[in-house]
Amino acid sequence: MWNRLPGVWICVAIAIASVLFALLATNAYYTSLVVWVLTNAVLASALRFVLQIGELNIATAAFFGIGAYTTAITAVLLGWPFWLTLLLAPLVAGALSALFGWVTLRTKGPYFLLVSFAVTEVVRLIYTQTNAIGGNSGLVGMFPPMAIDAYYPALAVALLAATLFALYGVERSDLGRLFKAIENNDAIPRSVGLNVVLLKVLCVVIAGSAVGLAGGLHAYANNVIAPSDFTFFVAILALAYVKIGGEGHALGPVLGAALLTLVGQWVAGISAWENIFYGAVIVVTLLVFPGGLVGLAARARGLVTRSAR
Amino acid sequence: MELFVQLLANTLQIGAVYVLFALGLTLIFGVMKIVNFAHGAFFTAAALIVTSVVPFATVELGVPLWAGYLLAAIVAIVVVLCLGALVYSIGFQHVLKDLNGSFILSIGLLLILNGAYLAIYGGAPRTVPQVLPGTVSIFGAALTAQRLALVIVAAVVTGGLYLLIERTRLGLALRAVAMDQEAAMLQGMPFNRVALYGFLIGAALAACAGVLMAPINAVTPVSGDEFLIKAFIIIIIGGLGSVTGAIIGGLFIALIESMGGYFFDPSTATLAMFILVIAFLLVRPQGILGNVE
Amino acid sequence: MYTTNWLRPLGAAALTLLLAQAGAAQETLKLGISAPLSGAAATWGLGMEWAAEQAAERVNAEGGVTANGKTYMFDIVSYDNKYSATEGARNAQTMLNRDGIDFIAGTIGTAPVRAMQALTERKGVILFTTAWGKSVKGPEFPFTFTQMNTPFEILVPFYNFIKEQHPDLKTAVLISPNDATGQELEPVAVETWKSLGVEMLASDWYERGTTEFQPIATKIATLNPDLVDFSAAPPTDVGSILKELDVLGWNGVKVMSAGTSVDALTAVAGEAAEGAYLGASADFSGETATEVQKELNAGAREALGEPLNGITISSYDAIMALRAAIEEADSVDPAKVQAVLSSVRFESSYGPSGFGGEATYDYPQQLLIPVIVTRVENGKAVELTRSNPAELEALIND
Repeated sequence: MWNRLPGVWICVAIAIASVLFALLATNAYYTSLVVWVLTNAVLASALRFVLQIGELNIATAAFFGIGAYTTAITAVLLGWPFWLTLLLAPLVAGALSALFGWVTLRTKGPYFLLVSFAVTEVVRLIYTQTNAIGGNSGLVGMFPPMAIDAYYPALAVALLAATLFALYGVERSDLGRLFKAIENNDAIPRSVGLNVVLLKVLCVVIAGSAVGLAGGLHAYANNVIAPSDFTFFVAILALAYVKIGGEGHALGPVLGAALLTLVGQWVAGISAWENIFYGAVIVVTLLVFPGGLVGLAARARGLVTRSAR
Repeated sequence: MELFVQLLANTLQIGAVYVLFALGLTLIFGVMKIVNFAHGAFFTAAALIVTSVVPFATVELGVPLWAGYLLAAIVAIVVVLCLGALVYSIGFQHVLKDLNGSFILSIGLLLILNGAYLAIYGGAPRTVPQVLPGTVSIFGAALTAQRLALVIVAAVVTGGLYLLIERTRLGLALRAVAMDQEAAMLQGMPFNRVALYGFLIGAALAACAGVLMAPINAVTPVSGDEFLIKAFIIIIIGGLGSVTGAIIGGLFIALIESMGGYFFDPSTATLAMFILVIAFLLVRPQGILGNVE
Repeated sequence: MYTTNWLRPLGAAALTLLLAQAGAAQETLKLGISAPLSGAAATWGLGMEWAAEQAAERVNAEGGVTANGKTYMFDIVSYDNKYSATEGARNAQTMLNRDGIDFIAGTIGTAPVRAMQALTERKGVILFTTAWGKSVKGPEFPFTFTQMNTPFEILVPFYNFIKEQHPDLKTAVLISPNDATGQELEPVAVETWKSLGVEMLASDWYERGTTEFQPIATKIATLNPDLVDFSAAPPTDVGSILKELDVLGWNGVKVMSAGTSVDALTAVAGEAAEGAYLGASADFSGETATEVQKELNAGAREALGEPLNGITISSYDAIMALRAAIEEADSVDPAKVQAVLSSVRFESSYGPSGFGGEATYDYPQQLLIPVIVTRVENGKAVELTRSNPAELEALIND
């Protein structure tokens, strides 16, 4: 599989370069930016991963939060070691995604969309009403241990990049093909004896674990988390990254996340106009370039090969 | 007993606006099969326009308050209809029946409109003086005359919409298209035009709600978004696409808010509502009166 | 002969050039603002940004700040923190590491401020905040300074005054919004009322974004307390509840401990707001306001369409404090500025001021300004009394 895809090696090279950059760059702003772009890329990729079975899962935001809170609670309130708190994030998020998926995936389309939205809000409301985990003020004090502190951004970049590759790997595997088959028409896989519900839940669990890990890393990157960080809007932004970058290829969400995050930073601080800008980008892309950046690239490549003939 | 009547009166007052809001949303979903997250923006636009036209009319034109308010209402509804038509022709028309696409489009639209409202009107809350001042007492329950008017107008509008859906040709077309679009088109119904009318009616309902709310609550650029979440809960419970369902759902949610807010506390009531909607989606996703997909 | 003739003009020219050089040795000192500039709390952020720009203009018009032989002009850089911790962390990265800002003149929002603190304390950047909780203050946060009164300063004198006006007060109900400020304030409010002999019949919460307040109002009316305390609820919400209470016929003592902006309150509640006591809503256009405040308030009305309040004017005070501290330390190194900031004296918009609060917070990082109690009379906030914290009294009489 890997040999047939020289593009993958380019991505690996970029990933390694990012890790090195995070390790060696002197300005913390740029390293934090790289971590942030990759976090958004993971959110977008996980969202797209579930889109493979045809479902738009707003609860991606909820599991991002669950991962972050797991890490924060175990680190700050329980004082557990750093590696354990990070390990628990994807595990807890994954377990809860399984529960979520098992309960909700019998609904489809708009119903699943709305239930995932409602679940995200309920989880957020629970955070705000639970004083033991900080209520509305959230939790503070998630610092990586002193020895690792300087290398933390590089660690985060490496883990996030690895997550992206893992998601891609699953997509290209036979399991990924099963997901695609389900999206098309889930009667067919069922007719050959596959447990469709189980597969759907598995898809959501994989995506949930991925964003759970991203959430845990996010907790250490920002040192503070609060319920307002995990509203449904996080999923909306992730959706924007997917749409802009293009749903057609795994690289799409990554490109979309990179582009929108960086442009967003460039225009930061213009209040009302920032909203208008983001909204306009989403609307224009949807109407004019439904395939996103990846779609554009595919068309361009088609043009090139055609003219080369 | 008096308490109970008061709680009931509260339910009606709260429910009136929710119903108007939800009706528009459910109509748009029923006909066009799209989830419109920007629906609240129509409400907000209408309310904001009223807050600027009323002072203009009473101060610059010198007309009495009630006339200024009526003028504002007309202007607001017309502007929202134009906005709706614009938004439909540029955007929603191309994503009919595409759930994810329309969802994303409506989000983008919401961001643009919210930003625009903030830029034009600023973030400070804006108010309109009460057109009907004073308090009335009905069966021992107290409510302001303004709110009573709201309930009455909402009931009239709802009744009118019900008649439209059930008794007119347009209503028939809307129902047919909602039930089975292909079959309706085979019968010669112009789907695009029917969808456009459905969308405009929905937008007009939201605008109506906005106009009615302006003298009652302060208006900010995000007023409509706060109602929107409740409206989604309502149409899920009532049934996506069902007009009667929206009415029942609206009153039901208002009842929870009224009772829950009184016996426990509003935050608890909000949490309860969300859990309820999750339960509905899992057990009976088509809601009380919706059609099974 | 010729040499002496043109030596003088040459000398004069050289001198002029030298002087011009010194005058032109002007640099910019960037001051950061991190506040919600969009969404529901946008008016606070935009107001704070405006007040900061006014302060910077004044300082620059008076020649800027001089430190270590150089003159600096203030430049305000603001970022939207969208009231979330994530954005607060991003703002911190951008301001500290990209823009190289050493002084943050104003921040709003507990969650974003805590995220910022994680970075500012480590880097030794001075951070001014309007966040209330005790959790953002203390000896472990020596670079953080609060720029307005918090419930810990307001409640005791405020409630005491009200109890004096209404000695028969026995019961109360507390309504708080379910957000960080509401959660920080509630326990303090309940305790303080208890210590004055007022029993809290119910302490209820509502979600930010609630539009219909009849259920809350009905509950209050049924409980029929002597007093209702709206804690940190925004004035539009308070106005709505008061209106509903009026409809239901409740008429007790109305208290708004920490809400700001009387204009919004009276616009929504009208007559129903009459007689309400406000602990943090000074009227900056009234007779008791200082000249500076009246000027700023009038300017804000014109520029923003609404008057200033305790939150938005705080960036002006912070910048005045910074100027004084920079000149006293004779340096723009934040570490040196921080060393003198706790003890510096300066003119805030309220008059002479400084920092204190060590008794409450274990570290002197609270701005010392008067606690101003106002009451709504005929739709305007009329000042009833103002009290200076003990440390401020000592400072003034020095």
